[in-house]
Amino acid sequence: MSTASSLHQSRKRKNGVMMALCVIAAGIGLAWLALILGALLYKGLSGVSLAVFTQMTPPPGDAGGLLNAIYGSIVMTIIGILVGTPIGVLAGTYMAEYGRFSKLTTVVRFINDILLSAPSIIVGLFVYELMVRPMGHFSAIAGAVALSILVIPVVVRTTEDMLNLVPNALREAGTAIGAPRWVVIRSVAYRAAMSGIVTGILLAIARISGETAPLLFTALNNQFWSSNLNAPMASLPVTIFQFALSPYEEWQQLAWTGALIITLTVLALSIVARSLTGRREDR
Amino acid sequence: MAEHTVASFDEDLRQISRLIIDMGDLAGAMVGASTRALLESDNAMAQRVVSDDAIMDARQRELDDRAITLIAKRQPMADDLRSVVGAIRMAGDLERIGDLAKNIAKRVGSVGVSAAPRDLSHSIDGMAQMVLIQVQAVIHEYTAGDATALAKLRNDDERIDVKYTSVFRELLTYMMEDPRNITACTHLLFCAKNLERIGDHVTNIAENAYYVLTGTQLPANRPKQDETAMPAPAA
Amino acid sequence: MKPMLSTDLNAVDTTVEKAKIEVKDLNFYYGQSKALKNINLSLPERSVTAFIGPSGCGKSTLLRVLNRIYELYPKQSAEGQVLLDGKNILDRSQDLNLLRTKIGMVFQKPTPFPMSIYENIAFGVRLYEKISKAEMDNRVELALKRAALWNEVKDKLNASGLSLSGGQQQRLCIARTVAVKPEVILLDEPASALDPLSTAKIEELIDELQAEYTIVIVTHNMQQAARVSRQTAFMYLGELIEFDRTEKIFTSPREKRTQDYITGRFG
Repeated sequence: MSTASSLHQSRKRKNGVMMALCVIAAGIGLAWLALILGALLYKGLSGVSLAVFTQMTPPPGDAGGLLNAIYGSIVMTIIGILVGTPIGVLAGTYMAEYGRFSKLTTVVRFINDILLSAPSIIVGLFVYELMVRPMGHFSAIAGAVALSILVIPVVVRTTEDMLNLVPNALREAGTAIGAPRWVVIRSVAYRAAMSGIVTGILLAIARISGETAPLLFTALNNQFWSSNLNAPMASLPVTIFQFALSPYEEWQQLAWTGALIITLTVLALSIVARSLTGRREDR
Repeated sequence: MAEHTVASFDEDLRQISRLIIDMGDLAGAMVGASTRALLESDNAMAQRVVSDDAIMDARQRELDDRAITLIAKRQPMADDLRSVVGAIRMAGDLERIGDLAKNIAKRVGSVGVSAAPRDLSHSIDGMAQMVLIQVQAVIHEYTAGDATALAKLRNDDERIDVKYTSVFRELLTYMMEDPRNITACTHLLFCAKNLERIGDHVTNIAENAYYVLTGTQLPANRPKQDETAMPAPAA
Repeated sequence: MKPMLSTDLNAVDTTVEKAKIEVKDLNFYYGQSKALKNINLSLPERSVTAFIGPSGCGKSTLLRVLNRIYELYPKQSAEGQVLLDGKNILDRSQDLNLLRTKIGMVFQKPTPFPMSIYENIAFGVRLYEKISKAEMDNRVELALKRAALWNEVKDKLNASGLSLSGGQQQRLCIARTVAVKPEVILLDEPASALDPLSTAKIEELIDELQAEYTIVIVTHNMQQAARVSRQTAFMYLGELIEFDRTEKIFTSPREKRTQDYITGRFG
């Protein structure tokens, strides 16, 4: 029948059009990614050398490295994770386990989602008021606190989600054998959700590695080497901010290299996180 | 009674039920015809009874097949299970009734025309009528689901036994009177015994039917009034 | 003259069996709605009792009252008495964790813990007993042997519990339950997710276990209930309709509803 086949033809055409649109959209997205990575590699790779990892940030016009900035980023990130992760995991555990049926959980989840997408500059301002002003000076510890505030919502979200994915039957099985609540959570639920929770932590690290705004108001920056938590500390994002806007060539080169370092680190973390999730799904 | 959710199950059960009714009808017909043939010396009728027995046997085999297939396929429970197992047993009894009627029919030629005097004919006819009524009633009451009637029917068998005892004595007397009657009377004796056995099989059927309908067995002590095998009480 | 065999088939079974669990006037609520209505039941020790009934009749609900696992969820409550060896386990003062060491449970979907096979079994034992490694090895081996799984896993005790097949996982769950030496084992449709061969192995296991444990099994497979249990309870819409010896229920039940259900005339 001709109506049937013309319907079929028009459907085939529509299918083809939609498919083409989707491919083009994907292509556009991927193209931007390729362009960014390409620019970073092109501009940044030439500046990569051992010096970058061994020498301090130089005064304008001199050659140098990014050692203090890298060190500062690592230190503040680690402290931020160490402070934020336990709070996040425990909060997520409460929401998924103890407080599963309580109203409080719904409220906390809602607030957490807001915090998740809060502009990080506001977090920076908040910590400025909370710590920097009373202390009278910028400090690395304030920077770490700001980063931990950014870590918490991410970890809460993934922890709660991953724990909710653990089937209830497993909890019941643990309970049925006589295990008290916290043993069931620790030995059964956590173990079942472990790779998911770790993924969440990795994603949190990836997020805060590149945060600039909160650090501007808390840790500021430091030209020189400093391991004093109570004083301003250098960090890669802020250093890049400073160097990129400057008119000095060496500084600009270092900025590109720093950006490349951050990007590759975040990429590596995401790949690791993805492979952990993938392994879980295979099972 | 509600229908099974799977309708073909009901159909299977109905077919078995129909076979039982058919076999019951056939059994009644064979008993009636064989005793008629005996008393009227009708060889043609006797022949028909003998050939009917083949049909009875075929029906019993068919019922067996269907019942076993149903048990394998449907895993029947409770009343369904009882009715299928009951049907297998009843078919066995009905088939035996057919064999006994055929046995009577086979003796028609040997008994001959001259044999029985009026009274003896009358007695045997009377016994045959009792048995025939029982055969026809048992299947009918089973189909109607009347468990009380079945219990009563089982107990009524004692009348047949009493009648048999008196026919037995009559035949003995007759044989003692005139030795020329012995051959014919011996055959008649076997026929009377067959009728009494038919009565017992009907009792079996009634007991099975009662179990199928109620799930409990009738009390084991079936009244037995056949005194021919018991020694005479000391004087 | 006395008959050689005396069999009165209508006689009532008068052997008095000791009741392991007695349920008295039990009512159960999901929020406001009543899911179990006035249940009275006596489960004899060291034998298998089956709960059967159509979906939603309350058989799983009743099972889950026996080890109070419903307490994990809010808005579920029970009133009445459930006596384990004479002591009411619904009482406020009953220690739930200790209760569950006496009454074990196996679920419909096999739920091995995300640990090695050895750990799966040692986990429960370690909760309440401090024993040496050698003793623990023995316990694990014994439990796996009881569950007819030892020969299949003895060379891979450190493999993850999740690497086993469905039937093996379920037997692992049974081994885990048996390892803590309970007195009662509750089985909630233990074989419904398994193939016929695994199901048969589980049924054989139940047969062996009933010599030592009181077993309660919920099943929607009537033939299975007929095969494994000594007594059967038929439930409908939250009520206990009939409770009797299994052979009686499946050959000549008293209640018409029971008859209709087991012959497939329901609905």
